[in-house]
Amino acid sequence: MLRVTLTADSLLADLQTAARIASSRSAVQALSGVLVSAAGDYLELQATDMEVSLRVRLSASVEEPGEVVLPARLLLDIVRSLPGASVTLAERSDHHDVEIASGNAVFAVRTLRRDDFPRLPEPPTGGVQLAAQAFVDTIARVARSASRDDTRPVLTGIMVHASGGELRMVATDSYRLSVKTTALDEAVSDSFEANVPARALQELSRIVAQSEADHVTIGRLENQVVFAVHGAGGPATISSRLIDGQFPSYQQLLPESVEHELRVDREELVSVTRRISLLAQKNAPLRLAFAEGQLQVSAQTPDIGEAHETLPVPFHGEAFEIGFNPEFFRDGLESVDSPEVLLRLTSPLRPGLIESADESGFVYLVMPIRLGT
Amino acid sequence: MRLIVARCEITYSGRLSTFLPMGVRLVMIKADGSVQVHSDGGGSKAKPQNWMTPPTAIEIEGDPPERIEVRKLNGSELLEVAIEEVLADISHEADLAIPLEKDGVERDLQELLAERPVHCGEGFRLVRREWPTDIGPVDLMCRDDADGWIAVEIKRIGTIEAVEQLARYLERIRIDPAMADCRGVLVAQTIKPQARTLAGARGIACVEVSLEELRGTREPELKLFAA
Repeated sequence: MLRVTLTADSLLADLQTAARIASSRSAVQALSGVLVSAAGDYLELQATDMEVSLRVRLSASVEEPGEVVLPARLLLDIVRSLPGASVTLAERSDHHDVEIASGNAVFAVRTLRRDDFPRLPEPPTGGVQLAAQAFVDTIARVARSASRDDTRPVLTGIMVHASGGELRMVATDSYRLSVKTTALDEAVSDSFEANVPARALQELSRIVAQSEADHVTIGRLENQVVFAVHGAGGPATISSRLIDGQFPSYQQLLPESVEHELRVDREELVSVTRRISLLAQKNAPLRLAFAEGQLQVSAQTPDIGEAHETLPVPFHGEAFEIGFNPEFFRDGLESVDSPEVLLRLTSPLRPGLIESADESGFVYLVMPIRLGT
Repeated sequence: MRLIVARCEITYSGRLSTFLPMGVRLVMIKADGSVQVHSDGGGSKAKPQNWMTPPTAIEIEGDPPERIEVRKLNGSELLEVAIEEVLADISHEADLAIPLEKDGVERDLQELLAERPVHCGEGFRLVRREWPTDIGPVDLMCRDDADGWIAVEIKRIGTIEAVEQLARYLERIRIDPAMADCRGVLVAQTIKPQARTLAGARGIACVEVSLEELRGTREPELKLFAA
């Protein structure tokens, strides 16, 4: 029968991640819970929504080993509000509950059915090892382009490709496409390619940031991918179902040549875009009008108002105007990690490219919006 | 139709018991004997808080009304409205129900897609609308550039049931050796993720279409690739 004591802060940090992963809408009640198990000198939390799963270990003083399933949201709310620095969890099997005690506060929370909680994948043995920071930086560059539309499952993932000394991630929602290629300090032992749900990778990013891990190990099961993070707090494993289906052939979408290539200060263009986008409401486009030596960014929302701002850019040639979804255009600019961006454009109905100007391997392709007169 | 806006409390007994404490509400008494109680909320459901369908017996006490009792004639349901203050009380003779003229129903989609079958798939040309099978007609029968047969089922919302329906049609159509390779395409304004998954497993293609784009009232959105 489980009896364990640990610091409330460390439990809270990992419970926040576990509660995000625990299912909020499953018919199986145990899936809304977190499996708390204690053994040796650690406590392990497990949570899953049957798509993404988490196992995370944290140091604890274990008086008696055991495992129980507790409602994740409630447990999180309790731990967040505890008055003391440490917390003790003690199972009371005759009451079918767990007593949570901290300071003078005592809670008794009913357990959920252990048998209904699935067995989650173990941390990978072997697998591909990658520098954690490079991995999460690459996720951050492309994640915004992944679709949130569940009717197109294949586009809700990030295509991860690691081979030799190169890591590449690609995401697209059919309106924009992000590709980030990162050079690795150490070549990977085996190549790896899989379409991983963006949500799983974003959770992995949070865990890496929280644990300050050096490396991420990637293992692949039949239709699952398992990431192991060895951080300061304790090992964590996040596993995810892989997405079936043919990922779009993105290479052929990237234009080989363009009509106009402009080097622009990223921060300035981001600021202008943010300001002017305030008047691009109700699906109104952000308009970019290029003329000799200048770019006018403007937006107009009927019955609301309009805005425009001009900035100098090294544009030469025949003037033209192109429209973009303001959010998509801003996402592209914000995903660039260099002081300058390269805007590569051809015509008002051809996709525009936003690239990092420092050859750091980031490309963002965004489809324009047709502009009325 | 009588519309009474009143500060009232409402008690219902019958299939269950409910109580609405004192508050301002609209009590709608229609000529067909139905009674509805509306609050100023309800959001997307747009449903009355209390209601009684006809046939009913309605007793209104007082002028201005102080109490309304609505009793179901063929049951034991009772709706009682105790009125503290009447804020408005108007009666009008309203027209009887005329069927709604619906736009954007399956029929409209089918007509538009029959005129422009390429929206169902590249190179599609129409062979016939309402292609008969022995278990019912499939919406469109088309052929593609390679003269292959394609059965197209059209729905406003593509569900698992629509996939199953098309799979049944295909089973019957393919009995004819000349159409043994007939493919299936489910076309809808929205296709549910479960339907898409099942369609994939059944080898049926899914295509989402926009009524506005089919009618030419909206330009199609520019995409990097057909998704």
